Amino acid sequence: MRSRLPLAFVGLLAVAAATLAPATLAQDRARPERIAGKPNLNGLWQAANTAYWNIEAHSAEAIKGFWQLGSLAAIPAGPSFVVEGKIPYLPEALAKRDENRAGWPASDPEAKCYMPGIPRATYMPYPFEIVQGEGDTILFAYTYANANRPVFMNPEDHIRAPVDLWMGRSNGRWDGDTLVIEVNSTIDQTWFDRAGNHHSAAMIVTERYSLISENALQYEATINDPDTFSQPWTIRMPLYRVLDANARLLEFNCVEFAEQLIYGEYFTNEPAPAARP
Amino acid sequence: MPQKIVAATALAGLITLGAAVPAAAHHSFAAEFDINQPIQLRGTVIRMEFTNPHSWIYLRVTTDSGEVQEWAIEGGAPNALIRRGWNRDSLPAGTEVTVLGYRSRDGTLRANGASVTLPDGSTLNASSTGAGAPSAQ
Repeated sequence: MRSRLPLAFVGLLAVAAATLAPATLAQDRARPERIAGKPNLNGLWQAANTAYWNIEAHSAEAIKGFWQLGSLAAIPAGPSFVVEGKIPYLPEALAKRDENRAGWPASDPEAKCYMPGIPRATYMPYPFEIVQGEGDTILFAYTYANANRPVFMNPEDHIRAPVDLWMGRSNGRWDGDTLVIEVNSTIDQTWFDRAGNHHSAAMIVTERYSLISENALQYEATINDPDTFSQPWTIRMPLYRVLDANARLLEFNCVEFAEQLIYGEYFTNEPAPAARP
Repeated sequence: MPQKIVAATALAGLITLGAAVPAAAHHSFAAEFDINQPIQLRGTVIRMEFTNPHSWIYLRVTTDSGEVQEWAIEGGAPNALIRRGWNRDSLPAGTEVTVLGYRSRDGTLRANGASVTLPDGSTLNASSTGAGAPSAQ
């Protein structure tokens, strides 16, 4: 009791000081530059590009079959986010990509609200949040499908998961000021984008997150999957801090929007039975 | 240290293993399967899916009359199976197995799996928990 009272008093003083201090100082307190000696990556981040449509260079085109939506149902052109220019598919895997593309959108796991996997979750058109503390785990939480993944920073926790996972197993480490995450146990059901680009369960993704300014991260994901690609290749793009007033991670529980697509055979046009009194 | 790994594995189970879409079939045992129709199936594993809320084992079975049937065997949730020692390598495609289970009420080629016996004679407990399913002995 004797020791608690002064502590509480000091706390009050600190709050008062923060309230009275210039705004910059208050911000510094809210978001320290470093946590346990490492860069503070906490916050909401989002890509601002066309990678979610197609990580390779592509022209603008209409989405077939949705003419009623006019130019709302059109894919904007975009550059390649693949450092090597094109994805080095093996011939069979390229044929599978074309098959995926021909069956789009029904073939796309995103249309079914399946968890997107890594790296796709990173550059979907929604924010994601990094929650970093002083402990052994950094949490990545995504808007889409309420997907999330813990990144295990303690080498003792660096395992391969017992089964393949939609969001993979994320084993992290710091390389200087860069957060490096090796993602294994990637299930073969996830894609890279809406253009049918895909991988196998043998894929290992090595992600690198580096602050290039207070409000921007350089993101790199090196894809190593000898069952699908002739050589490793890398996705690179900046990610931006979401600075909007009241920005926060909202959930996009997309399940209900995918039900008719997945279970359409069970749908009828009959009105729902009246609720019981 | 062992505790840590268990916790990590359990967490991995929680996050994943399923699409975000809830499967249409989370149900009590009795709603879909008939405890009065026990069945023994010998066949070859086509594939195994660790999906929530139930895992599925797909089996190619040749009947006495020579007909080739494709069976779907429902198992416990991935997290339950992983805690009993299952992993991605437990049932590779092509494995010859014997499954004890209970047939579905609707007569389709589906069953609730209780146990899976591997070629070396070892047995994996495949049963669902907490859904009224009989436990594997």
